[in-house]
Amino acid sequence: MRVSGVRRTGWMAMLVAILVVARLCGSASAGELDRAGIARHFPPPLVVGEKDDTLPVWPILKQQAGSYEVFAYAFESVDFAPIPGFGGTPPDLLIALAPDGTFRDVTVLSHKEPVFLEGLGSEPLFAFVEQYVCLSARQPIRVGRPNARGSGASPQSTVDGIAMATASTRTINQSILASALAVARGKLGFGAANVGLSVEAKPNLFEPLTLDALQARGLVTRLTLTRAQVTKAFRGTGVEEAGEGAPEDVVSDLTVALLDVPTIGRNLLGPARFEALMRELGPGNHAVMVLNAGPADAAENPLGETFVLGAVPERLTVSQGGLVVNARDMAVERRGAGLNRGLPAGDWTILRIDAAAGFDPSAPFTVTEKIVRERGQILSEKIARDFSVETKLPADLFLRVAAQEGPDWTESWRARVPTLVGLGAMLALLVPVLARQKGLVADARRFPAFRLAFLAVTVGFVGYTAQAQLSIVTLMGLVRAALRTHDFAFLLYDPPSLVLWAFVLVSLVLWGRGTFCGWLCPFGAMQELVAWLARPLRLRQLTVPPRLDRALRKVKYVVLAGLLAATALNSPAADAMAEVEPFKTAITLSFLRSWPFVAYAVGLLALNLFVYKGFCRYLCPLGAALAVAGRLRILDWIPRRAECGTPCQLCKVRCRYGAIAQDGRIDYHECFQCMDCVTIIHDPGQCVPQVVARRHAKRIVPRPVVAVR
Amino acid sequence: MSARLTRRRAVLGACGLAVAGIAGFRARAAARGLVARSRAGLAFGTTISLTAAGPDPDVLEAALTEGVAAMRAVEHEASLFRPDSALSRLNREGRLDAPPKHLATMLAFALTLAETTGGAFDPTVQPLWPLWSRAAEGGGRPDLQAVRHCLARVGWRRVNLSPEAVVLEPGTEVTLNAVVQGYAADVVMDALRARGVADAFVDTGEFGAAGTHADGSPWRLGLADPRRKGEVAAVIAPFTGFAATSGDYNMAFSADFRDHHIFDPATGFSPRGLASVTVTAPTGLLADGLSTACMVLGRERGRALVAGHPGCAVRVTEKA
Repeated sequence: MRVSGVRRTGWMAMLVAILVVARLCGSASAGELDRAGIARHFPPPLVVGEKDDTLPVWPILKQQAGSYEVFAYAFESVDFAPIPGFGGTPPDLLIALAPDGTFRDVTVLSHKEPVFLEGLGSEPLFAFVEQYVCLSARQPIRVGRPNARGSGASPQSTVDGIAMATASTRTINQSILASALAVARGKLGFGAANVGLSVEAKPNLFEPLTLDALQARGLVTRLTLTRAQVTKAFRGTGVEEAGEGAPEDVVSDLTVALLDVPTIGRNLLGPARFEALMRELGPGNHAVMVLNAGPADAAENPLGETFVLGAVPERLTVSQGGLVVNARDMAVERRGAGLNRGLPAGDWTILRIDAAAGFDPSAPFTVTEKIVRERGQILSEKIARDFSVETKLPADLFLRVAAQEGPDWTESWRARVPTLVGLGAMLALLVPVLARQKGLVADARRFPAFRLAFLAVTVGFVGYTAQAQLSIVTLMGLVRAALRTHDFAFLLYDPPSLVLWAFVLVSLVLWGRGTFCGWLCPFGAMQELVAWLARPLRLRQLTVPPRLDRALRKVKYVVLAGLLAATALNSPAADAMAEVEPFKTAITLSFLRSWPFVAYAVGLLALNLFVYKGFCRYLCPLGAALAVAGRLRILDWIPRRAECGTPCQLCKVRCRYGAIAQDGRIDYHECFQCMDCVTIIHDPGQCVPQVVARRHAKRIVPRPVVAVR
Repeated sequence: MSARLTRRRAVLGACGLAVAGIAGFRARAAARGLVARSRAGLAFGTTISLTAAGPDPDVLEAALTEGVAAMRAVEHEASLFRPDSALSRLNREGRLDAPPKHLATMLAFALTLAETTGGAFDPTVQPLWPLWSRAAEGGGRPDLQAVRHCLARVGWRRVNLSPEAVVLEPGTEVTLNAVVQGYAADVVMDALRARGVADAFVDTGEFGAAGTHADGSPWRLGLADPRRKGEVAAVIAPFTGFAATSGDYNMAFSADFRDHHIFDPATGFSPRGLASVTVTAPTGLLADGLSTACMVLGRERGRALVAGHPGCAVRVTEKA
């Protein structure tokens, strides 16, 4: 396309205007809440402390006997991790992180995710972020598929995703985790360093040892409490004395052993039970045995009456680095029959520590027994004292597996395999049909049927099933990534689209933009199907006057330039401008959106009853981008005859896209590869030069000619 | 000498104990035409809180905002938590030209106290901190050789303070953690007073009080039991002026409280005699410095030191 000098000035003026608007609209993201705003989310008795003067973090304090203690650190995700959402605007979440790294609260303050705003409503999003409460920022959290937790994914490291909102939920997840880790690094002394670290016992390292030998080496530890010790700990509370007996009586005698180390577990359990336990445990998880050889009926027994089978024990905790590790009773072989010879009799539990808990068995860990006593008869008050034993196992018992790079995009690929196969089949069908022009394409009767069927599949399968409507938003994302985030990984999370993009790039270089626009664009297909209804409805297509037509065709390039400029300038207006594309409304949200959007999309479809594919030809920025890139096309592959253009104008007149020039050449930038002209050219009854030639008993051969440049 | 603080609470039951009930409190305060406002936050590695009482809530809010700002200013100059503080810069570069006001005041006080106590109080024990904290992380103690080696870098005479510059001899590092919280209480109290606030309670980790609660009842200060977490061992009531507590139980390196965050500059180990010391004094800076010095000096010499400072009193708890 040529642009005159005068017009170029016009373009420049428009660009400048767009830039100015973008500048006016653009502003750096920053948290929106002041003290009062934070206080609304953390009402009394919580106290909002003075905002930290180095990080935008509000300490949330709890009054405790005259002084304060930290309940949580509250912050807005956008201050730490302004990760652009689906539409480009970062969501803002209010997050409260407890000093131990647990999420106390996650609330959505603002977001511009169209899938929620225009489609599903914000409720599913609010429910989504609520899943983080009580999870720990010390471990990676992945967005699973909907109902992932219900179908067995680890509830400590997975949240249920939302169908149709994969990209948005992934952004929200990243915003939450990245900002929480940034705050944790600044305030809590941990960061991303240990996330995903896996330390497992060497499976083949075994040495037969007795319990005494294990204890002597510190591989098995013991916590023995006498009545005197407990009394001393409770001194001054009024409940020093509990139970009867001599001060030197042992009230609790715990043995602590990390069973997944073969030298410990196999010796204590015996080979058969050890193997069974390891099978049940699964790789990467850990099992801590706690056995109480003290009197079973003592109130101090943490495994006594208060112990609930299969639960996280109330009075026994495993902790590491000052943080409690989630350890749950496995409820295996509970009836005292499970352990090997040589172990003292008594209640015992095997606590399971999930691989995702971030537990490092090669670092010291502590088992704490909590002894609780009640003071007072009527309004009794619970007084607790903790007794701990530390276990420090030699590091050479373990293999440290490099941190798992949590490549959660692989899951989206695995999950989409059937879709990808379907998509592959479509492309494998389409390419030979288009390439073999004397085959199906030449069949004037069957080819239109094939085309309609194919387009229906494009709408239903590519569009709604695979959700692979390519969009200008992806190009905008690329611009953003190139200029700012430098993270192109977002492409990996949508496998069908990525595969389609790859195909489009190849076809673009070989055949031009039309392969996508004419065959694989769901909204384009939808328009063509609507236009097909015009005939039975007896509606006549309007003919756009050629000069107007030529002018209108250029509008799409202006739209494209505006969008890319707004994106490059990081203007929030970019997202609003991207709405020129009705794909999100029609395909992603299947018309479940507020009425102006639906009206726009439906209007564009209805327009096809009068103006054939007006949106594609005049407005579509994606089409414009592909047309620009299509200049790289190497094949002039649509066959032409010498007679095309002079004198024959049949194809030109029949071309519904106006993509054939007066002289018969194909304008590949406007060609949608509908193949109408190819069908004509191979139809001896339609192709005028052939009809003429037959009359003169001559044979003529079609050949490709140089296209319109 | 506290080399670095991530303190748990030294003192408990500070200002709330006397108040029987919120409603009663409000009624009595209203009868006197007074209201109370407070702020809480994090500073010096612990929680802090300021409470002010007076007739005009707007004045109180403004005064509290200034109080917090004053405290932040002290933090900016003398916090070892902040790599960008003037003190951190001094330790990194060995020299600090035109030392800022708060830093200069605290350092001058610390050096004077070091001289008075014959070096029992010493602001240059900072190099001992990483040695001990690393050893404690591994569950042990540093070896004697390493401690001796480290002590070669300790000594208050290695600090040269003049209005133009602070200059450290090579290897010397300064900590003001032993006095910064007490000094912050002074600065905050001054800021409140400058706004005309006569009734205030300041908790910067150490404590200051002036006047009374809004309802006219006296401020009370509960002193924590050094061995029973969360228990109050004694109450100072009425409490005005400043109080600072040093103890072996905050930031202890060993479970028996033998090794903790206060070092005897002579030995490089923690002093043996006392479990905790509380000093009341006319300024927070003095209270804080004296309490730390007493930990090192022990009961008798500590009492003698405090007796030499008018308006000061000391309470000690010996190790069991």
